[in-house]
Amino acid sequence: MRDISGYSIGVLVSMVIHVAVVAALIGSWQPDTVQVMVQPQYIEAQLVELAPTKKPQTKTPARAKADSAKKQREQEKRRAAQRQKAEAKRLAALKEKQAREQEEKRRREAEEQRRRIEAELEQAMVKEQAQINAREDQRVANSYLQLIRQRLTDNWNRPPSARRDMETLIEIRLVPTGRIVGVNLLRSSGDPAFDRSVEQAAFKAEQFEELQQLEPRLFEKHFRTVKVAFSPQDLRL
Amino acid sequence: MNEENLSILSLILNASVLVQMVMGILLIASLLSWIMIIQRSFFLGAAQRGFREFEDTFWSGIDLNNLYDELTAQVQEDGAGDGIENVFRAGFREFNRLAQSDKADPDAVMEGTDRAMRVALSREDEKLSTNLPFLASVASVSPYIGLFGTVWGIMNSFRGLAMVQQATLATVAPGISEALIATAMGLFAAIPAVIAYNRYAAQVEVINGNYETFAEEFSSILHRQVHSR
Repeated sequence: MRDISGYSIGVLVSMVIHVAVVAALIGSWQPDTVQVMVQPQYIEAQLVELAPTKKPQTKTPARAKADSAKKQREQEKRRAAQRQKAEAKRLAALKEKQAREQEEKRRREAEEQRRRIEAELEQAMVKEQAQINAREDQRVANSYLQLIRQRLTDNWNRPPSARRDMETLIEIRLVPTGRIVGVNLLRSSGDPAFDRSVEQAAFKAEQFEELQQLEPRLFEKHFRTVKVAFSPQDLRL
Repeated sequence: MNEENLSILSLILNASVLVQMVMGILLIASLLSWIMIIQRSFFLGAAQRGFREFEDTFWSGIDLNNLYDELTAQVQEDGAGDGIENVFRAGFREFNRLAQSDKADPDAVMEGTDRAMRVALSREDEKLSTNLPFLASVASVSPYIGLFGTVWGIMNSFRGLAMVQQATLATVAPGISEALIATAMGLFAAIPAVIAYNRYAAQVEVINGNYETFAEEFSSILHRQVHSR
């Protein structure tokens, strides 16, 4: 009996607790978006008339005449002042115009200067790019030259008469497919057998297929004719 | 991501199915554990109060036969009796039955009485500590369940992060936030359960100790009686 009542109260209280928690979470747990409004601190400026406001004059008939004379004088004075003011205005306008012209001129010069600097900069950049390109080309070309030299050396059978100080310079002519179409002896080593072995090596190599991957521009520049020097540096005598 | 999408409710609703399941399990666990907490609190409080009242009447010098009759009548009225009264009734009934037969050996009578009281005691212990294992389970497991949901959610949000080109905090933050809700819920379920479990376990221990002490005292009274005959 008591057990069951305990359970029912338990269910009730538990439900209430959970519903309260969930409601609290859903109701109030939004991410805070703190908006800090910075109040601008400004100083209010007002034009304040320095002259004290004229007291209303109580005119008596006796002073009316004197008043009118005074008024006339005042008017004259005012007119003179106006004239002066107009003159000053004109002068000011003139000066302003001159200043503006000068300003314009200065600006134009500055513009000119800037354009010149930009143009120089651009030129320099173009030049630098060209240099970079050239260096890159040189690198690629060198790697292919190295390859050609390697291949030729692999195919080279040195004659027994070869000596260390011998050197033969040949020129091989290539076509874009990488095939060797001609071999010229540019400088002989003085030993005909040695020269012939070098020529044989070039003919044996026959074709460098790797050259097909080269850009035509690079090929024309570096590989139409290639000069290779042969010298048996690893010999002992 | 606009701000409306970051409210708790929409985070939960937008979570992946697995994370939602985890959250559901945790919510149910929390509900049940609160039910148990409250029910246990009533039950243990009543047991303690009942013990104190019973002890007062027992030591007030009342005739034990009268007390037994009273309690039996009450039990027949209410249904099942509770707590220490059951121990007393079991012991006294057994003692009377054994003592009434003439050829009863005093030691055998005492042994039978003690056994009957032990049985009643263990039954009472069982009653006191029902639901406590459930609280212990919720306390120890629900953080892990919550953590699982969180890890899963974060895993997914990082997988999503791998897909985008420009990874900003804003692309993962909602996913992680929604995943972390699972951990929060796990802790929300676990903390009350831990506290309640520890408190009630200690309380049950105390009540059991009281019962046992009473049983010993009662047994000594009966012992005196049976041996002085």
